[in-house]
Amino acid sequence: MVLVEQQTILSKDRLSIHLHDNVKKLESIYADCADIKFRYFLIGNESKAVLIYVDGMSNVEEIDNNLLTPLMRLELEKEPDIHALIENTLTVSNIKEIQTYDDVVSEVSSGNPIILIDHQSKGISAGIPKWEKRSLQEPTTETVVRGPRDGFIETLSTNIVLLRRKIRSPKLKIKSLQIGRYSQTQVVIMYIEGIADQTLIEEVQNRLNRIDIDGILESGYIEEFIKDHPYSPFPLMLDTERPDIAAASLLEGNVVILTDGTPFALIAPTTFYSLLQSPEDYYEGFIIGTLIRWLRYVFLLVALLLPSVYVAILTYHQEMIPTTLLISVAKSREQIPFPALVEALIMEVSFEALREAGIRLPKNIGSAVSIVGALVIGQAAVSAGLVSAPMVMAVAITGIASFLIPRYSASIVLRILRFPIMFLAGTLGLVGIMLALLTIIVHMCTLRSFGVPYLQPLAPIRNSELKDSIIRAPWWSFKKRPHWTDDYNKVRQPNGQQPSPLKGKE
Amino acid sequence: MLEQGKISPVQMALLMIPAIIATVLLLVPSITAKHAHHDLWLSPIWACGTGFFVVFLSYKLNKLFPEKTIIEYSEHALGKILGKLVGGIFLFFYFHATGIMVREYGEFVSGAALFHTPMAVIIGTMVLVCSFAVLGGLEVMGRASEIIVPVVILLYILLFILLIKDLEVKNLFPIMEKGIRPSLMGSIVPQSWYSEFILVSFLLPYVTNQKKGFKWGLIAVFIVLFLMVLTNIMALLLFGNLTSSLTYPVMVAARYISIADFLEHLESIVMAIWIAGTFIKITVFYYVLALGTAQWLKLSDYRPIVLPIGFLILLQGLWAARDLQELSHFLATSGAIYILSIQVVLPFILLLCASIRKKLGQRKGNKQNETPVNH
Repeated sequence: MVLVEQQTILSKDRLSIHLHDNVKKLESIYADCADIKFRYFLIGNESKAVLIYVDGMSNVEEIDNNLLTPLMRLELEKEPDIHALIENTLTVSNIKEIQTYDDVVSEVSSGNPIILIDHQSKGISAGIPKWEKRSLQEPTTETVVRGPRDGFIETLSTNIVLLRRKIRSPKLKIKSLQIGRYSQTQVVIMYIEGIADQTLIEEVQNRLNRIDIDGILESGYIEEFIKDHPYSPFPLMLDTERPDIAAASLLEGNVVILTDGTPFALIAPTTFYSLLQSPEDYYEGFIIGTLIRWLRYVFLLVALLLPSVYVAILTYHQEMIPTTLLISVAKSREQIPFPALVEALIMEVSFEALREAGIRLPKNIGSAVSIVGALVIGQAAVSAGLVSAPMVMAVAITGIASFLIPRYSASIVLRILRFPIMFLAGTLGLVGIMLALLTIIVHMCTLRSFGVPYLQPLAPIRNSELKDSIIRAPWWSFKKRPHWTDDYNKVRQPNGQQPSPLKGKE
Repeated sequence: MLEQGKISPVQMALLMIPAIIATVLLLVPSITAKHAHHDLWLSPIWACGTGFFVVFLSYKLNKLFPEKTIIEYSEHALGKILGKLVGGIFLFFYFHATGIMVREYGEFVSGAALFHTPMAVIIGTMVLVCSFAVLGGLEVMGRASEIIVPVVILLYILLFILLIKDLEVKNLFPIMEKGIRPSLMGSIVPQSWYSEFILVSFLLPYVTNQKKGFKWGLIAVFIVLFLMVLTNIMALLLFGNLTSSLTYPVMVAARYISIADFLEHLESIVMAIWIAGTFIKITVFYYVLALGTAQWLKLSDYRPIVLPIGFLILLQGLWAARDLQELSHFLATSGAIYILSIQVVLPFILLLCASIRKKLGQRKGNKQNETPVNH
């Protein structure tokens, strides 16, 4: 504890006027840091100076051409003045003066080379960072047929640019902060002034400021720290790799949180329905958008309930199955030694295992696993008399249904909840399933995401927003913004934009 | 106030509708049919006056004592000791009523699906689920009702539509063969269900707009009336005079559905939607009981007593009656008088006392200040 305090006192100190002292202190701070380079040189053959940078994080070419060359060739008449150097000599656009050791450390670690000069109590930081980064690619987890193909990458500055290019208004505000005592990860909050609610922005900032952790490596860390209901399995923030989703949420008054080092942006607040929407709902026609939404809602229930309903009906409510079907189901189950619940559990667990294995394995082996899985789960298990064919079908349909949910974080919830419901179905039949559903509904009704009820606009009902949740109404009919609070920027677009032949006469 | 949340008038109506209708669907057709015979569909219409009257009573009482529930203002209206007594009577009544309700649920589920499951498990699981909602508070209940109730009502009406081809319209005639008396006699029992609308007086203080709350209370009575008439007509057109001898006519009706040899035996579906409706009903009563008890004992929060009360409800459910026959007999005979006297007569007396007190108080105030007090 004492050591930490000493360190902070040391680093808050201002730079010394003697280069010798500065170098000594910095060398002790950067002891055993092989990647930190100290380059000593003379300004105009006289004044001693040092250049400090991280190997591989700064643009060496620019250091050579725009920092070292002009400085070393400078003809000095008197003591070099920092201000004059910046104004006359250094041909770098992003440049600033620094005064404390703290500044030096933070600038160096963000890739900006530092120049310290003898007899000067200030230093110069040149903003020429450069490191290897991934090129823009289509996000593999959120693909669309029609829509932009760029995705966020691990570099924060690029991600901000991606959003700025979509929303060019100066009303798009960006607030930056650092989280993580060791990782010192840069996190930015983005919102559109005048659309996003002021209290929401403050709340997000407060919650982010409360985080005290050694390092942030993914936005998931942040999410768990600022979630409204920490024990709920439901995602209370939307995570996305797509700039278009982030931009759309900004326009609806949400706040986007970008984290350096991860392509996943967090969007708050979110509702359950936004987790069931794909960006393509908005890009293709509204009729297909609506129908696909309904398809998703139906398969949401299928993914959650199908194995349980199958178990419940086979165990308690056989009379519900039409006679001919009942006979064939009974025939296929004749050989099976397990009750329906055990059968369903075996299949579901092995399906989950297969799915997890498929994600972790290298891609070329992955296909082999899926073939083996299909054979083991499908063919062999049935012919070996371990599970019945209808059960295999039920599990397969459940699997497909869970892939229909466009957000991975939402489909995880369904996978988690499926198992307790199966147990309830095996013990209490349809009554158990109903009780489970009621519990889930009550739980979801208690949830709030940054103060917004999770099931809004259906519970509580907001009539004007129903047309973007139950259906996807045409774009020209979204006249009002969805509002999270009472006080908001209401009008999204003016009336009367519906295209019609009459418009030509205007 | 113990309840921080607020609900919208629509949410209140959506909470009230299943709070009345859920158990009606099971027992009322056969109970009314015993007196009204084939005029049973008229009985709910005669009975609905009680519903309107009770909603009106709650609204008037709420106007006199805004932001207070019936437990709190009975002390203001009747004085400390008498008020506490009346509050206690209400609470014991709701305790008993909730117990009966859970038992009805238990009897129904064990009779229709889970024949071998112990009653305590069936009731216990339901009470547990309800306690989650009650612990969530009124806002959560309101939101849950917005999700559940529309689905329940739509599925119920769908059931009716699927039955249309089996309905015999001539079972309706002759209307009022023996005059109006049988249907009036049959209306006494539905009245006891309508009288449950006094629950509005517990919810109104937490509704955002009381005037709209009153309006939506009346709309809720209308919807309940519609669903009750629909149920009774369905039972009558399907079974004729047989209705009175069936325990659960709606359940039997679901068995009649057979479309394309595929959509058949939907009684499990009926059971499922009915469970959802009953869930809201039990939750509302449970909540009123928990909140009322906390107010009666002047506790600072009602949440700590929710689970203990749930356990008592479970015991009360097991103890309420020996079997379904006894329960049904109680509801059809002395139960009606018992329920009506507490849910209609008692609030009415409260309103009378409160308004007399207020008049007296005003006159006193006038004499003292010589200026009229505006309220």
